[in-house]
Amino acid sequence: MNYEKQEIKQGITLHQIQTENYKTNLYAIFIATPLKRENVTLDALISAVLRRGTKNLPSQEQISKKLEMMYGASFNCGIEKTGDNHILKFYLEALSEEFLPKPEELIKESLGILLDLSFNPYTENGAFKAEYVEGEKQNLKQIIEAKIDQKDRYAYDRCTEEMFKGKPYGLYKYGYVEDLESITPESLYKYYQELIATAKIDIFCSGRLKDKNVKEIIEQNENMKNLKERKPNYIINNETTEAKEVTKANEQDKTQKSMDTNEKIEGKENNEIKAKNENVVTESMQIAQGKLVIGLDVNETKENSRFIASVYNAILGGGANSKLFQNVREKNSLAYTANSGYIRVKNVIFIRCGIEIDNYEKALDTIKEQLEDMKNGNFTDEDIKSSKELILASIEAITEEQDTEITYYYGQELADRFVTVEEYAEKIKDVKREQIIDFAKNVTINTIYFLRD
Amino acid sequence: MKVIESLKIKEKAYVEELENGLKIIIIPKKNTKKKYIIWGTHFGSIDNHFIMPKTGEEVYIPDGVAHFLEHKMFEQPNGTNSLDTLMALGIDANAYTTNDHTAYLFECTSHFDEGLKELLDYVQHPYFTDENVEKEKGIIGQEIRMYDDDPGWQLYMNALDCMYKENPIKIDIAGTVESISKINPDVLYKCYNTFYHPSNMVLVACGDFEPQELLEKIKSQLLPKENQGEIKRIYPPKEEKINKEYKSVKMEVSTPIFMMGYKDTQTEKTERVKKHIAVEIILNMIIGKSSKLYEKCYKEGLLLAQPDFDYESNEQYSHVLISANSKDSKKVEEGILQEIEKMQKDGLDAERFEQIRRKIYGDYVIEYNSVGDIARMFLADTMKGVQSFDYIEQFETVTKEYAENILKDLFKKENKVMSVVEPN
Repeated sequence: MNYEKQEIKQGITLHQIQTENYKTNLYAIFIATPLKRENVTLDALISAVLRRGTKNLPSQEQISKKLEMMYGASFNCGIEKTGDNHILKFYLEALSEEFLPKPEELIKESLGILLDLSFNPYTENGAFKAEYVEGEKQNLKQIIEAKIDQKDRYAYDRCTEEMFKGKPYGLYKYGYVEDLESITPESLYKYYQELIATAKIDIFCSGRLKDKNVKEIIEQNENMKNLKERKPNYIINNETTEAKEVTKANEQDKTQKSMDTNEKIEGKENNEIKAKNENVVTESMQIAQGKLVIGLDVNETKENSRFIASVYNAILGGGANSKLFQNVREKNSLAYTANSGYIRVKNVIFIRCGIEIDNYEKALDTIKEQLEDMKNGNFTDEDIKSSKELILASIEAITEEQDTEITYYYGQELADRFVTVEEYAEKIKDVKREQIIDFAKNVTINTIYFLRD
Repeated sequence: MKVIESLKIKEKAYVEELENGLKIIIIPKKNTKKKYIIWGTHFGSIDNHFIMPKTGEEVYIPDGVAHFLEHKMFEQPNGTNSLDTLMALGIDANAYTTNDHTAYLFECTSHFDEGLKELLDYVQHPYFTDENVEKEKGIIGQEIRMYDDDPGWQLYMNALDCMYKENPIKIDIAGTVESISKINPDVLYKCYNTFYHPSNMVLVACGDFEPQELLEKIKSQLLPKENQGEIKRIYPPKEEKINKEYKSVKMEVSTPIFMMGYKDTQTEKTERVKKHIAVEIILNMIIGKSSKLYEKCYKEGLLLAQPDFDYESNEQYSHVLISANSKDSKKVEEGILQEIEKMQKDGLDAERFEQIRRKIYGDYVIEYNSVGDIARMFLADTMKGVQSFDYIEQFETVTKEYAENILKDLFKKENKVMSVVEPN
């Protein structure tokens, strides 16, 4: 196995993936913290401010120059929502030492810069540089406001927000404009220090790393030495933790509850779950094509049900053979796009279609028919086979892209569920028709969101 | 097979031109599980007026035919759809149409031989009926709608409209709802028979292959075809001048987006790679991530990210595009203009030039990380008459002086256009 995991200190883990398939090495640092309404905007702002400068490279221009001299190494950072965690992500990609026109110690240099960017920001008077914070506040404002630009993404985000109203997962990963004003360079820096002292930190390295002593390089790094061990504060999400509540509880209350790491929501028996009324939301914008997004609850919390869910989802809306693609697009010409995606960490499925606005009713009926078909077992063995092939191909592809492989292992780390790529493939192959039908009976529509003109 | 090699990045390409004119390029990649194959025809949205080599008939076709044809190729006489057949094998299959070519491809980790058989089979067997052509109009109509709502696409189309009056690159690849309504099986067959001839096609494969073995496999599955003379493509005469300086539309966006363009004169085929490298270096020096101008714009909140830039160049068109989101595109444009003027006057900074050259070298090497990127690059370059390794090999021939000449020659005020999408 080419994957190895080592603890640097408590709460800080190094993951190494040894591979010779690429011209590049990829390095990543992930900082995970629970999603909270009061912190989302701060998290997003931090990832933006950090890229502005470090103590060693105080401006973006200097960072870029340095990276360009390293044969166009590229640095990237951003913010992601994974389950109920907010993840600050930092990536650095650089050529493998083997393909340099002349020898240089690029691994050490790359890790040095990445750790510097994550943990050694440029400060003035015990706070982030005011100019950087102000600039990034303006930029973040624009990013948040730009959520309307990509219509299908917007519709998807809005459906998620409606479906998880008042819960961490319903939060927008870039935060909220109204939070920005009160943030100061001091308050942000204070929050940042707290964050890096308590968050779960994972470092990934992928590429030609043989005999390069990556662990030692990291342990010797000054920024790493300055980080204390910690009992990491983050939330474990997997199919067994994501029971769906029967009624909508007080929003304030819910937020509090699911944010506490130690207090998991009790799993509920399936028979307790009654079909909720569908929540229908329609919104208007000046657009030519309507965007229909349907959020489905999966009321099944058995261990390993995620594998059945994957196959169910692939049959429903995974690819060109799926029921949605075939019936919504091919047979009825109602849409150009029609697919579905399973969000494992929240145990929900989203159906997404771009449709002619007048076809709303017809498209919705057709989609509901497909959901009924799934419950009644109206799908062929051929459908199961091709869906499994589709998933297996994507599993095979995990080790073919550096960032995909890193994301795979990090996903497991966060979900506290470790299966090798090979085991994952076996579990998919083992899924049976009856299991899919049983699973289908536990799928209910939660939210129907339609963006129209 | 002929072997071309890049020692710098330790890659080889095996090339063979068959008797029927089909060009096959195989790039072996040891130890990768993914295999990628792409079969392209030199037929894109700009080819809307031509003479059929066999009959001598002069044909005008409605806008969007190349793309329509691409959609319809998957359909088989027995009622199956090859896209479904491939997907059912876990093979990720797709097709796309550009200005100058149409391509059919798949990527897989297993079932490659079955996939190859299906690919070769469906691309060689068109099946168009009145009924299946009618049905497709609904689906493509929705695709066109999707692009109607895409500010980035509208921005690009408007930039082209500014640069060219008659050039067919202005035609929307998918056509319009009106233009595709005129498409019928007869038009599709005419285009298929003309452009889907082996002599007008290129096949590229990348993955863990034994080149000779794969070549034989492909050859054994090709249908015999009569040789065909050259296809005469008719394009409007080249226009020296731009069409208009400025175009702006309103759409539902949060901040304005702009695309600045410089129309270029045509370049000799042999010089295109070198010029391309030089243009990339220049653009990075003007407003790349490490440039003073970018830092200034970023600080002032005028830019949130480095602008995208592109140099598109072939026989029919050639231009530079710079695009970004900005609350004040006028100011960014002014900054870019000043920077260009300054660089034209003072020459390029030697240290920065070297730094950017290193960066571009890294960028080109990174393209060789994925079998898909490699195969698509070789196909697109071959369609343009370029050899992909040349980007790595000719790299060192691009000097500061050469780039300075390009800078003076290409970035002229009178060739500049600006397209803007403003919020409602």
